[in-house]
Amino acid sequence: MPSLLGNVFQSWAKYSKGNEQGGFHDYEHMYSMSIDLDKCTGCNACSTACYAENNLAWVGEEKFGARQAMNWMRVERYFDEPDVGEGSSDSLERGASFLPMMCQHCNGAPCEPVCPVAATYHTVDGLNAQIYNRCIGSRYCANNCPIRVRNFNFYDNAPTAWPAPMDQGLNPDVTVRSLGVMEKCTFCVQRIRAGNDLAKREGRKLQDGDIVTACQQTCPTSAIVFGDLLDEASEISKAWKRQQVELGKYKQDKENPEMRGYRVYEELNIDTKVLYLERVREV
Amino acid sequence: MSKTKIDRRNFLKVLGLGTAGAAMAGCDMPSYVTSEEGAEKIYSYLAPEEYMIPGIGVWYASTCQQCPASCGVHGRVREGRVLKLEGNPDTTVNAGKICQMGQASIQAHFHPERLQNPTINGKDATWDEALALVKEKTGNAAWVTGTVSGHQRVLMDAHRQASGNGRHYAIEAVNARAWEDASATLLGDSNPNLHIDKARAVLTIGADFLGTWGNPVKSMRDYGNFRNAPRGVLMAIEPAMSMTGANADTWVAARPGSEAAVVLGIGHVLITKHGVSAAGMPSAAAAFAAMTPARVLELSGVSTAQLTKIADTLMSNSPSLILANASHAAAKAAQVLNLMLGNVGQTLTPSTALAANGLAPLTGSSKDLVEFAMDANAGKIGAAFITGTNPSFLAPKGLDMAAALSKIGFKVAIADFADETTKSCDVVLPMSSPLEAWGTHVPVNGGASGDIHIQQPLMENVYANTRGFGDILLSVGQGAGVEGLGAFEDYYGYLRTAVSALIGSDMEGDWNKALQAGKVTAATIPMAFKAGEDVALGFSEPAAAGTLSLVTSARQGLYDGRHANLPWMQEAPDQISKAVWDSWAEMHPATAAKLGVKDGDYVSINTANGAISTRVFTYKGMHPDAVNVPMGRGHTDYGTYATNGVNPLTIMDASPGDRQTTELLSSNLAVQVSPTGENRHLVRLMDVDSQHGRKLVATITADQFDRNQGGA
Repeated sequence: MPSLLGNVFQSWAKYSKGNEQGGFHDYEHMYSMSIDLDKCTGCNACSTACYAENNLAWVGEEKFGARQAMNWMRVERYFDEPDVGEGSSDSLERGASFLPMMCQHCNGAPCEPVCPVAATYHTVDGLNAQIYNRCIGSRYCANNCPIRVRNFNFYDNAPTAWPAPMDQGLNPDVTVRSLGVMEKCTFCVQRIRAGNDLAKREGRKLQDGDIVTACQQTCPTSAIVFGDLLDEASEISKAWKRQQVELGKYKQDKENPEMRGYRVYEELNIDTKVLYLERVREV
Repeated sequence: MSKTKIDRRNFLKVLGLGTAGAAMAGCDMPSYVTSEEGAEKIYSYLAPEEYMIPGIGVWYASTCQQCPASCGVHGRVREGRVLKLEGNPDTTVNAGKICQMGQASIQAHFHPERLQNPTINGKDATWDEALALVKEKTGNAAWVTGTVSGHQRVLMDAHRQASGNGRHYAIEAVNARAWEDASATLLGDSNPNLHIDKARAVLTIGADFLGTWGNPVKSMRDYGNFRNAPRGVLMAIEPAMSMTGANADTWVAARPGSEAAVVLGIGHVLITKHGVSAAGMPSAAAAFAAMTPARVLELSGVSTAQLTKIADTLMSNSPSLILANASHAAAKAAQVLNLMLGNVGQTLTPSTALAANGLAPLTGSSKDLVEFAMDANAGKIGAAFITGTNPSFLAPKGLDMAAALSKIGFKVAIADFADETTKSCDVVLPMSSPLEAWGTHVPVNGGASGDIHIQQPLMENVYANTRGFGDILLSVGQGAGVEGLGAFEDYYGYLRTAVSALIGSDMEGDWNKALQAGKVTAATIPMAFKAGEDVALGFSEPAAAGTLSLVTSARQGLYDGRHANLPWMQEAPDQISKAVWDSWAEMHPATAAKLGVKDGDYVSINTANGAISTRVFTYKGMHPDAVNVPMGRGHTDYGTYATNGVNPLTIMDASPGDRQTTELLSSNLAVQVSPTGENRHLVRLMDVDSQHGRKLVATITADQFDRNQGGA
């Protein structure tokens, strides 16, 4: 139909591909993370490293209590596990379960289509990106995020968070966010850029290990792995393969169901790109 | 460069513009970044120094000073500023990793409340005036510090020797003293190397090795390997769940103060059920025999089934490792069990002593805190240097630290922040942050390495009038006429000479190599354990069932309170309660029900030594007879960020009998708890403790894990 809308329909066909059909991007990279919950001790090293690396503002007790903290990565703690229960005894019989939680960079991210100004979008690196100076603060994205990992600047946090000379410790590679914008985990996009730039300067392909996120770098038990899923030799793609978890599915059909890999909220078909490895319990 | 002549400091300062410029280029310049003086001038980078390539961060090695573990770090330096710390991958101890406290070094370094000028009686003074006064008044001075090692310790020792042999009190509220003493008694080695990664099962009784005990980053690294297939089993026995307990496969609540009895009970089951031999140790065997499971249940509330499960796991997962720090009695019994189970030599190996043993760590304890207070109160201390510890905050009221300090004629604080102790000191010498100073540090329990970590400045002083800790020590030493020190102009010169002597080379290249590596490896003397011998094992009777006892856990983050002035640490949710910015009292739900309180209700916790009032947080990771108020908050003079919360240490028991056996902090102190009637919501990361059936943290059994080689 040679009409004015022809192009639109044609593009729509391209963009309306669901996750099951591989989504709509010609990805150059597909950055992904895996976290071994059996090695995670819940120590907070990752989340504090994130504060240092990404210029996260601390907000104080009152705002923290109002759910206005700017923690991109939080370590959740539960005393029960659906698979083993809390136990019927009067006392806990085993330790807690820790869950480092940050933006999962969903390939079917529910936050992206609801942004009225396209401030949050999917990059060719497979990242769920946030453009701060495009964001108008509608907060639709945060409302639509089932994992609650988007942090909104309800206040101009910078003056209290970095009184001079603390501002001298800010990471110059990362923008300090201002009042009224949404922010979230970027998978340390500045480190991704630096890694890519370095490889380019050295005239070689990006190698596994060129990019290390701040949380991964500091994790004392090495529970976190990060890398490019499109690089078949990378640790991360090996991990996904080994764990028999595939992107683009809302239900995994594992050959060996005893492999530990899983994704949170998979049933929502948001196609998260963080692979968690199940907690192991003695029974 | 610029037309005018410019000295190096100003040069660095002027390069600070690079940051503001970059922010402007990113078009998102925060409004609070004010243009510095001269911002409108553009300086070309035609001849920058190697570490000043605009926009490029360069990593330099140094040593973390946030806790006594002294991990090696790399600091990212850009435009003359240190921006981020990461672990130094070349160290044996932390191999590239650091904890949250290490990450927060940056915040302490750029802190607006750091001390900036020397003071005499609270009034600003010059360094010359302050040092002259110190020189005049500190003959026979005692040194009051935290854990110290390396050449700083050498200089303190030299100073004490030259000025009348004052005593050195090393104070650490969070310490491993019970374990060290037991290891010295039974193995002849107070800090044996631990091999958590080689153990198939680890049992901890009050040794929070993942959180604050020993060398947490090293332990966590080993723990990561411990969890590889075949997966090791972690068990914990404690009155209130610690971070280590929160990762345990088997967690058992024991009545506060009954830990030693439980360890003896495990020995009883190992001998009677599994035929483990206590040959050659008749007194120990008698103690095990007397501690029947029924007696354990009566004393600790630990059931026979739990006791048997732990003993069975230890038997079926050999070699194991039993770590205990709950009390001297528990630690001693644990080491006897390690001997009986054949763990000694496998998961516990002899430490490696430095040939230059003057550098070895002098590890702190709370026993020294008590003795410092008693000696001062008895008028035995004429003058004191206080640095790296905060006795006024750490001391229970019963020690009367205020009176003790007032009886010391002359007190010098060497500190980076004003705190409860510096307030009562006559002279306060402001030291540079650890990221601005030179030093050497020997990590405690660093494995068989002989590594000495080098601390090198990562940037110019943020506050111009502060001096490096080593430089201050050197001045003090020179003032006291320590022989040989006069030749050195600064601590760098001293340290360089000293390290050259240590590695047997004064070549420029070797020194640079050492700085680059962040460490030197010094000559070591191999040690051997002494043969196990019979020791008498005892236990103390805990308070009667139904009596509440106060526990004061230490948590990675605020630690003993030294990091309470760092907003990052205040806002990093507590690992267990997930609370931020304030104190709380952990209680078993049944205990709370009995008291008629619920979450968020304030309770007053009363002892003979005073009372504190804080909010209740209930969960089942508690013995019903325990009330746990983690330490670290409740400062009165530690800056604007450390004002919240209560300090449970103040109401702890300080009686000498208690200190002989259990150190201060794990004392089984009976408390009365009563609701105050107030309620305010405790601010926590999440207000849920349950997954409500959602599969957020999914679980698999250890059998399935091992069957699949952990998915490797």
